[in-house]
Amino acid sequence: MKTQSLSGSDRYPVHDSTSRRGGYGLKPGLEYKKIKRTGLLPAFVCCGLLAAAFPVADMAVRSERYLSLPDSPVSILLHADWQMMSMLNVLLLVVAACILYHTEVSDNALLKMCSLPLKESSLFFSKILLLIPMLIFTLALEAAALGFCCWHWLSFSPEVLTELAYSMGFSLLLLLPAALLSLLLACACKNMWISLGIGVVCIFTATMLPADNFLLSLFPYAMPFQILAGMQKETITGFSTAAALESLGLCAAEIIFLKIRRWSA
Amino acid sequence: MYIIETKQLTKSYGNFAAVSGVDLHIPKGAVYGFLGPNGAGKSTTMKMFLGLAKPTGGSFTIDGKKYPENRVEILKEVGSFIEAPAFYGNLTGKENLEIVGRILGLPKSAALEALELVGLTPYKDRLARKYSLGMKQRLGLASALIGRPPILILDEPTNGLDPVGIHEIRTLIRSLPKQFDCTVLVSSHLLSEVELMADHIGILNHGHLLFEGTLEQLKAHAENQGYPTDNLEDTFLAVIDADNRQRGGIR
Repeated sequence: MKTQSLSGSDRYPVHDSTSRRGGYGLKPGLEYKKIKRTGLLPAFVCCGLLAAAFPVADMAVRSERYLSLPDSPVSILLHADWQMMSMLNVLLLVVAACILYHTEVSDNALLKMCSLPLKESSLFFSKILLLIPMLIFTLALEAAALGFCCWHWLSFSPEVLTELAYSMGFSLLLLLPAALLSLLLACACKNMWISLGIGVVCIFTATMLPADNFLLSLFPYAMPFQILAGMQKETITGFSTAAALESLGLCAAEIIFLKIRRWSA
Repeated sequence: MYIIETKQLTKSYGNFAAVSGVDLHIPKGAVYGFLGPNGAGKSTTMKMFLGLAKPTGGSFTIDGKKYPENRVEILKEVGSFIEAPAFYGNLTGKENLEIVGRILGLPKSAALEALELVGLTPYKDRLARKYSLGMKQRLGLASALIGRPPILILDEPTNGLDPVGIHEIRTLIRSLPKQFDCTVLVSSHLLSEVELMADHIGILNHGHLLFEGTLEQLKAHAENQGYPTDNLEDTFLAVIDADNRQRGGIR
């Protein structure tokens, strides 16, 4: 150990009030550093590619089934494949949330984070801010695959791109409550397998809910299965408002949960 | 001037009082040894200082700042190592410290400096999960020392270290007030260890503070009470034993 070499260091002032700042700010960049070697990034790429491969494979095998349908190309593809694609997206979210909190809990890092000048809720919000661009990337891969299918097998026009962009934006909005609930569960359960199990049960419950029942479709894990193409304006507004309200409610629930956990420690 | 001061600090879990009406006075620039057998309430007290446990009674101030109103301000001034090393196993030692440094708003060089301080520089690029227990302990210490905080709270920092490591860490802790002008609160259940690095001690048993003062004052106190004073370990054991007997033989 070399203690002497440091005694006269002038690299930064000792006990200067600015030397240890800390603070409340969100740090998604820091969360990105933490996921190194967890396999989370490759998981997003692989899952995105797998979901993107789905419409391509479907069209390659049975394109004749869709060619005569009267709907728009995007609507045809989404109605044919979106259930499976969104299932993969939601599963990915559950796994990602579990991994994000597992890295905090497995070697007690969360204890260290809680003893630093940082709000525990900012960890949660930084994690969601990290998940959103990753989700956008996955949805972009899926949109590219759908666009390719339109171009290769159906018909392609600038309207297809606009429709795809709206559809993916809508899907992103509807994925937010599922992402927040998955993170909330992962944050609450120290054992990753419990939050993963609850998440998987929730996804399978969502697939069993009747799709034509608006209220049941508001279950956070059921909403991502909705398709924008062909949806009534009121229904779109209903789902968008519900997704925003659920997201705000889940954020509030996380803050309350963390406060209760801290004060009962 | 006391940098850490508690007034009737209490922490109860249901009917069990882990810390009971403790009045601590830790002078600025001192190495304060917090002594007590396992389960005496040392870690709980330290956790309260860091906001990891909520006091059920009493209050405390750190550097004149009151908890809980100034929790974040307090944490900016405190480097801590509680219970066991806490780190991200998927990151290297250097990456772990860079994360702590970034949260504290420190320059990148702070991580390397902290690694050097605890002798981990040769292993900085090894994954933390592959560290030995002693190396994990050193990493935990480095994350407490990073940015040279004015107050250090160290809970049994020599656990899991070999005799050479214990000596090195002891020497380091002893040198910190002079080197970095900081105050150190260090807990241990071994008086023999604390007497080599602390100039003030507090003895805790069953959540009650039995003694607070310098080692000389402890010797004088022991002589007054008729406890052995030849060996400080025996003095400590006698103080604890007398308290246990007074509480009806609870150990």
